[in-house]
Amino acid sequence: MQELLNTLTLGSIYLLFALGMALAWSTIGILNFAHGAIFVFSAFSAHFISDFVPLSMPAIILISVLVGATLSALTQWLAFEPILKRSKNHRSAELRILIGGIGVAAIPIALVDWATASAPFGFANSSYSTQVYEIMGLRITNTSLIVIIAGVGIAVGLTLWLRRSRQGLGLRAIGVDSETASLMGVNRTVMAIGTMAIAGGLAGLAGALQVFQLQAMGVETGDQLLIKAFAMIVLGGLGSMAGVILGAFVLAGAESLIFAANMGTWVDAVSFGLIFLVLLVRPQGIFGRQEVRRT
Amino acid sequence: MIDWYTANSVVIQATMTTLLLALSIQLPLRMGVFSFAGVGCFGIGGYTAAIAFTKFGMGTWTAVAFGTVLAGVLCYLLGLLVHKLTGLYLGMATIAFALIVSVVATNGGSLTGGASGLFGALGGITNLHVFLLLAVVIIGLAISEAGRFGRKIDTVREDPELAVALGINVTRYRKLTFLASGLIGGLAGAVTTLLRSTITPAEVNFHLVVVALTVIIIGGSSSWLGAFIGAVFITWLPTVLSFVAEWEPIIYGFVVALAAIFLPGGILGLVKDLRHRRGARRGSTPPPEEGAAAPPDDEPHAPEPSRTPVPSQGGAL
Repeated sequence: MQELLNTLTLGSIYLLFALGMALAWSTIGILNFAHGAIFVFSAFSAHFISDFVPLSMPAIILISVLVGATLSALTQWLAFEPILKRSKNHRSAELRILIGGIGVAAIPIALVDWATASAPFGFANSSYSTQVYEIMGLRITNTSLIVIIAGVGIAVGLTLWLRRSRQGLGLRAIGVDSETASLMGVNRTVMAIGTMAIAGGLAGLAGALQVFQLQAMGVETGDQLLIKAFAMIVLGGLGSMAGVILGAFVLAGAESLIFAANMGTWVDAVSFGLIFLVLLVRPQGIFGRQEVRRT
Repeated sequence: MIDWYTANSVVIQATMTTLLLALSIQLPLRMGVFSFAGVGCFGIGGYTAAIAFTKFGMGTWTAVAFGTVLAGVLCYLLGLLVHKLTGLYLGMATIAFALIVSVVATNGGSLTGGASGLFGALGGITNLHVFLLLAVVIIGLAISEAGRFGRKIDTVREDPELAVALGINVTRYRKLTFLASGLIGGLAGAVTTLLRSTITPAEVNFHLVVVALTVIIIGGSSSWLGAFIGAVFITWLPTVLSFVAEWEPIIYGFVVALAAIFLPGGILGLVKDLRHRRGARRGSTPPPEEGAAAPPDDEPHAPEPSRTPVPSQGGAL
């Protein structure tokens, strides 16, 4: 039971991170390789500010979310939009966005690396303190509680918003056919920047919560998480938010099992192997629809 | 000249090994196959050569050959598995492959030296040897870029459906590019490892993918020459400008992002564009179809009308 709870916490952080990536990728077609860097940088910004002024938990989370959203929207505006405008076709745009993302990601990561001298950072100066509750023999910290509630709540909320709301409809329309969608009055550019801001905000939230949960974060966390998130999205199926939720908890569960079996050094192989297996056996993922693209 | 060489032999060596690694990714990119398997093969080749050299007492060149061939074979098998994937999915699957190589190396026990890697694999390779190997690889690539064969590859990249219609066996080209990429990547890994005498799992990581990609993006992905320009740029810039060495990752990040946005063909693509433009201006009466093929206004970066079948954009990226 205790393991299940830990899995749930780990999965919720994965979920928050992957949701933003999946949202941007499945609707506006942008796989943001800077997502991991945004995750690290926004948590670092909160750490940086909280070193000067003692901050409460909500304030730290707010800073992290805002930094993430700003960074992500800027990336979209300054890098991805120009690439989309200048690309001949879908395939070259896809590759250039991936490369542009890798380039953009290097900048905040290098800044954090330089500022922390590659040492992990935390929120030592925050007024937040961890408390442990005992419920029916289960030990749960208030941090995990917040993480799980935030993760599951936002995931369900975002899924419903995408399915039910008018903006969600517009966003999904872009995902199906951006040209037709813009003829129907969907403002693609504004929607894209908004989506990226939401995605970045979620990355910032995941970053802050991860630091609260684990007490510290290393610079290289972002890259690992990026590939894990890819594994989750591919497993669930691109375009399905429910798939991302499933993917996050399956991956977290598998990793917990590996840790429980005392094979900690193999833990990264789970997500890499998962990517491989899913792409070979069922490329559209569990809930995904087969992509049809005419050339 | 001799003085200059001895002063810079380490940098020259780094340029050549970086170029070899970059070529293992440039080749599939030129074929329109978005594969980073070359980086994984760099690890396989490096580890195989180091194990063969230190644990089994093989000679330098047997070890290198062993590493190269094993990497090539494994990469071909990988190609058989994943050649149907395209675009981002293929890219991520091959990145996952490279990272799995690293995880396996970490868990390989005494054979791979675990997380601390292998030491003391100093083979008898000189810069001249590396240069000759590099020359062989580049001649091979240059042949594949020239004439009929080169145009076939361009077609496979630009329009696979058209290529199939023209009777080109696209699937076979794609599978073979995995073999070639694996061989070059394995060679790069084996040579680099036996030159440096060590290899660790941490070297075969996402960062290595980024380095190889940076080289190609800066130089241009359409030809080996682009990878050469990129390798020279990336290894010599920090030695020429000292402030670059200090801010290296940030500057490269900016350069890669800017190149992805403004220069999809890299430096090579830029030079080709300029030459085309100058050639077009010098020609007093341009052929009429050139004017007709002028790019529409909504595509500011559309390729210059070019007379050769090779697109001046430099293809895949």
